[in-house]
Amino acid sequence: MSTTRPTVRYSAHSEIRNPVKLFSDMWSDTWNGRELAWRLFLRNIRGLYRQTLLGLFWAFLPPVANTAIWIFLRQQGVFNIGDMEVNETLYILTGMILWQAFGDAIQMPLKVLNQHKSMLSKLRFSREALLLVGLGEIVFDLLIRAVLLALAMAWFGVAPSLAVLGAVVAIVMMIALGATLGILLMPIGSLYQDVGRLLSMVVPFWMILTPIIYPSPTAFPGTLLNWLNPASPFLILSRDLLLMGQSNMWFPAFIWGLITIPLALLGLIMFRISIPVLVERMNT
Amino acid sequence: MRYGLTDLGRELIGAGRDRTSEDLRPGEFFAVKDANFQVRAGECVGLLGPNGAGKSTMLKMINGLILPNAGCITIHGNVGAMIELGTGFNPVLSGRENIYINAAVLGLGKREVDRCMESIVEFAELAHVIDEPVKTYSSGMKMRLGFSIGANLRPQLLLIDEVLAVGDVAFRMKCFAHLRELVKSGISIILVTHAVSMLNRVANRAIVFGDGNIIHDGDLETGCTVYEETMGASDRVKHAADPQPETAARILKAEVVDANGQPCKEFETGSTVRVNVTVTATESLDRMNLFAALCSPVHGRVAAVSTASQGIDFSIQKEKKVCVTLVFEKIPLLLGAFHFNISLYGPTSLDFYHRASGIGNFRITGPPIRSDGRGIEGITKLPYRFEIED
Repeated sequence: MSTTRPTVRYSAHSEIRNPVKLFSDMWSDTWNGRELAWRLFLRNIRGLYRQTLLGLFWAFLPPVANTAIWIFLRQQGVFNIGDMEVNETLYILTGMILWQAFGDAIQMPLKVLNQHKSMLSKLRFSREALLLVGLGEIVFDLLIRAVLLALAMAWFGVAPSLAVLGAVVAIVMMIALGATLGILLMPIGSLYQDVGRLLSMVVPFWMILTPIIYPSPTAFPGTLLNWLNPASPFLILSRDLLLMGQSNMWFPAFIWGLITIPLALLGLIMFRISIPVLVERMNT
Repeated sequence: MRYGLTDLGRELIGAGRDRTSEDLRPGEFFAVKDANFQVRAGECVGLLGPNGAGKSTMLKMINGLILPNAGCITIHGNVGAMIELGTGFNPVLSGRENIYINAAVLGLGKREVDRCMESIVEFAELAHVIDEPVKTYSSGMKMRLGFSIGANLRPQLLLIDEVLAVGDVAFRMKCFAHLRELVKSGISIILVTHAVSMLNRVANRAIVFGDGNIIHDGDLETGCTVYEETMGASDRVKHAADPQPETAARILKAEVVDANGQPCKEFETGSTVRVNVTVTATESLDRMNLFAALCSPVHGRVAAVSTASQGIDFSIQKEKKVCVTLVFEKIPLLLGAFHFNISLYGPTSLDFYHRASGIGNFRITGPPIRSDGRGIEGITKLPYRFEIED
């Protein structure tokens, strides 16, 4: 039996009234939840791939299939929006892989909440661990797809430069921004199913608005749209750095980076505070 | 849902959750009200009450899953919970892999699990299948595995919700023995169950909830009978809505009295219980009969007696009252709450006049029973003796 006896006090007062304790609890719960997050991550990955015949191939499939469709449509002349600076297959495949990570990040908080509803309503554990599980799965899928991308780059003779390190930072920020937007939507999404449905409808349209299947616009108003679209700066920056080693999206990405950090903090607070309110309304 | 958004907004602006009855919105109610109690180290407290009484909400608040709207809960020490066995199990993975997962959910680290892996497997009696996928286990096997993992928790306060009906009798006995060991070692347990007979194997105090309020907090025996009584009340409520056609004769009341004729609700096993049943009629009736079923809310009908079985009947004069007394000398009932369902008949069973359900409530409050196989238990104390031959 443990010799330390922590004292816990639950009352009607909002946690947000004591921000120092709130942040300290958030940090300690995240740290203490790392083992749980790792176990749940292993459970999900093993459970997922142990039930399939083709295993990791399913992680490759969505970006490959999407890329194939868009290349086919371009070659058929269904649409043609300018020339690309690099091989178009590699360009679209890279964009698709990055977009997949961003889209997964947006939908992740609601997904993990729905997956673990029963656990949340019955047991007390580090809630932040669920976010770690979701992020872990996104990174895992991205790493598998990175192997595919590396093979494609080798095939098309594109050698990565040191700028890849900058791309990694941009990808991390892109996932953080996607997850933050998802966390901010999660409480409403848990109460109203409309949000989940709306997300699954909006995300494909959002993808079209992001320069993935066509070159990044260089003239107004396309450039403005790129700046305002939260997905574009990080996605374009990381793709440019991966494939060309340079980019002109540093500044908008920096601005969005400045926005992302406080927004992520707000999202984490919202996540923590909303869980007891949502558990009250979970009929499991 | 709209309330959810409002509450969330209030939390985010730091307005808190303080509420009084006046603040309740349409459709809202307090699941638990004015509940004050303290649990000390080494105490095992059973939370009892009918469905919707507030026990599970109380447990959720103690566990920090939901927060109170008034008052506060202070816990000195770690809290462990066995609320749902096998939480987080993935059926595709093996029993061994799932032990690590469930243990992590319950707050046990890999090193602790490595250390007690063998004892978990041994306790669950699943050594022969521990590396097989959990989907090949029976539901009983899954429950056993879940309980065995939880059994390795060593918090200062352990919360258990309806998970004692695990596996076969032998495994259940092992679980109770384990819980008794935990209590002896100074761990406090709060246990929610409807199975009163199981409760007295491990608990030493009962808190009974009714409509969100604590209606009993004290010794287990009285707690169990109070709980059974609240369940008996539901019988009365259930039949209160039954259409009672206007009949010539009716049962007015049933009053339980002791051997001296004094109204009494609590008796010891072996004492005299008298039930005065008052009937009346709107016209003079002869050859009337009473049928009385003695019921336990937990066990159902315990016994049924009738005036006809004794070969007697009675008459009722118009607009007069008649008192028919049912006497139980040395009542053999053991601990519990009891009530009567009484019917009034004419000369034959076809001449039905009136039925009154859930009346004549009384409790047997002593002596204590033992559920550890070393005393007597059940509903009745039978005359018995053992004879041993060499």
